[in-house]
Amino acid sequence: MAATADPLESFYFEHEEQQRICGQPVSPITDGFDPNYPSVVDRFFTRYYYIRANAAYQVLYHSNRICLICLAPTHPALAQGIATLSFDVGNVDRSQNVVKGKGKKGGMILQADSTLALLTTETGQTYKIPSCIRGKLVEVNAALVAEPKLLEQLPEGAGYFAILLPKIENCDLIKEKLLTQEQYEEYLKTSQEQDTEHLETSKEQKEEENMKANKEQLTT
Amino acid sequence: MKNQELVDYLVSCGVCTICQLRYLRARGTEYNDINQSFQRLGVKVPENQLRMDETNGISTDEQPFKKPRLSHCSTCLGIFSEDFQRELIEGIIASDFSKYDSEGIVLAITMPMSLQLRQLSMWFALQRKFGPTVHSNSPPDVPIKEAVKLILHPIICKKLDKKYDANGLMISIDLRHTVEEPEVDKLVELNRVAFPGKTLKRIEISRGLLEKQYQPSRVKAETYEKYLPIPPPAVEESLTLKSIDLQGPMVCVAGRYRKLSRELSHTPWLLQGVRQMEDSIEEIIIRSVGPHFTETVTKITFMSSGREDVDVRCLGKGRPFVLEIPNSRHSSLTKEQALAMEQAVDKSCKVSILNLQVVPREQAMHIKTGEEQKRKYYRALCALKEPATLEILQKLQIPESFDIQQKTPIRVLHRRPLHTRPRTIYSVKARLQRGNPLVLVIDIVTQAGTYIKELVHGEFGRTTPSFSSIIGKPIDIQALDVVGIDLDWPPEVDNSVSQ
Repeated sequence: MAATADPLESFYFEHEEQQRICGQPVSPITDGFDPNYPSVVDRFFTRYYYIRANAAYQVLYHSNRICLICLAPTHPALAQGIATLSFDVGNVDRSQNVVKGKGKKGGMILQADSTLALLTTETGQTYKIPSCIRGKLVEVNAALVAEPKLLEQLPEGAGYFAILLPKIENCDLIKEKLLTQEQYEEYLKTSQEQDTEHLETSKEQKEEENMKANKEQLTT
Repeated sequence: MKNQELVDYLVSCGVCTICQLRYLRARGTEYNDINQSFQRLGVKVPENQLRMDETNGISTDEQPFKKPRLSHCSTCLGIFSEDFQRELIEGIIASDFSKYDSEGIVLAITMPMSLQLRQLSMWFALQRKFGPTVHSNSPPDVPIKEAVKLILHPIICKKLDKKYDANGLMISIDLRHTVEEPEVDKLVELNRVAFPGKTLKRIEISRGLLEKQYQPSRVKAETYEKYLPIPPPAVEESLTLKSIDLQGPMVCVAGRYRKLSRELSHTPWLLQGVRQMEDSIEEIIIRSVGPHFTETVTKITFMSSGREDVDVRCLGKGRPFVLEIPNSRHSSLTKEQALAMEQAVDKSCKVSILNLQVVPREQAMHIKTGEEQKRKYYRALCALKEPATLEILQKLQIPESFDIQQKTPIRVLHRRPLHTRPRTIYSVKARLQRGNPLVLVIDIVTQAGTYIKELVHGEFGRTTPSFSSIIGKPIDIQALDVVGIDLDWPPEVDNSVSQ
């Protein structure tokens, strides 16, 4: 026994107090444990996606309409390795955004295709991170600028670039324009099929393709 | 001007004895024994003094076939007469008065504007009769309002067997008199002439305006007399009681509540006008406590020392709360009644209340003061993604306080401003569930206003440090209990022990 003493022995929880409330014994808090408890994202958010230049972005839509803009897990930059992130998108620095009061006065008004941030990869590619939805910029995740590598490791949601607040009356239209989880998976399947057709295509060629698609999108 | 001359003149104008004393500027207790006061002031007491109401000062040439009618004082319209006092008391008793157990009462009497007009008229009359000894700026009498307080209030309190208390049951009495309307009509005409500059808008004649502008220094007697007589004539009709409204005192009932349900909101939860949950702590408590005090339970205000989320239990000694009950019929609560209420709330099986008691109104603010300074004690059920290690457990034993920066949680960000708030965490103590190495029970002591759920998982890095950042691994919160709130108020009362 002594040889295999549990090093955690002193840390075990004992439901000590036998409190009675409303004539019933109070159940220990541990009774509430659920091994299949949904994650924070699953509890409060709906996942939507936005595609720009063949790269997918994730919008975590809170039930109170707050939106978190993230990279989708399939975003090519994650495979390429993230080198830098900047909220200075040329004409304006998004990290200078200031909001005041309940109404978030003074927040930048963004359109779905407004550039939110610029991301460069270790392969030298630059991605313009789109705002994905039309709304007011509430907060940017400045911590990512100092440590862009976090984007590769952080759990879902924690790598958010920014928090946006859409207008209530625009929410239906915004959701309609985004891809749902189902549509996104459908999109992945079809793009994979395309990929298998170009089994021989090298990485560089793929990137070229991306660039082409990018241009196509810009012209349409 | 001798007192005797003044009284003789007032008698000739049909003024009652009380008002005669008012014009003699009697104070306080001098109204208690009228004859004694007259003697002290060197005034002969007429033989029929006590039957003054029946003395008609002006209509001596009444037609003999006309039944003689009572005539009322020309200055108070009989407000101080015994008949009127009787009517008033009867009126109060006939109201819901007996339903209120308040020991104190306060009277709010709205008097016809005629009383103010008549005071002015008598003022003019006295100036004419006695010349400059009567001032133009300060009224010659003790104002009726004041006299009502000195005379009527004590009499009514005594007859009703109550004490005078400004915070007691308020009895609002609206008095009317048939002469008011014609006299005010005349006053409107008079006002146009006396204050011509202000005729641009429709004039609303108010009591305040009368008090401020209608003095001999601002209105000429000659102008006044074109519309209304000087001195004021006695009247035949008596005052009438238009209404008696009762407003019970504000009573504060305090206690502590505990909450067992993880599906119960603090107050009714409405989203776009649609009810989200069938009940609330506020409603459960008011349902059992409110009806004892008032019929209008919807007017009760429920306050507590902070609040917990819908899915959070509140255990231990519970959270202090106060009900502010306006228009309350009862101002006390016996232990038996309090116990019955506590037991009724227990039947909800969701909420339990303790230490229920009536508290002084001034103490009700205890609940809101220094809210930010208070310590709150929590127990959180947390889940790891991989089994707990000794290292994780050790990192979550933090006996000394540390500060965190907490951004406004996303769940409330749509309706609250974005701020980063510093909060102090006083201690953290994590324990492991035996047989389930993913489950931690963490006891946390924090400064009030800390968002605990976000403190645990860090909310995507928006609360730093968080338990997640401290252990460097994801950790989520599945359940939360409030186990203590360090507010020693209200005092502990065990209602199950009879006095």
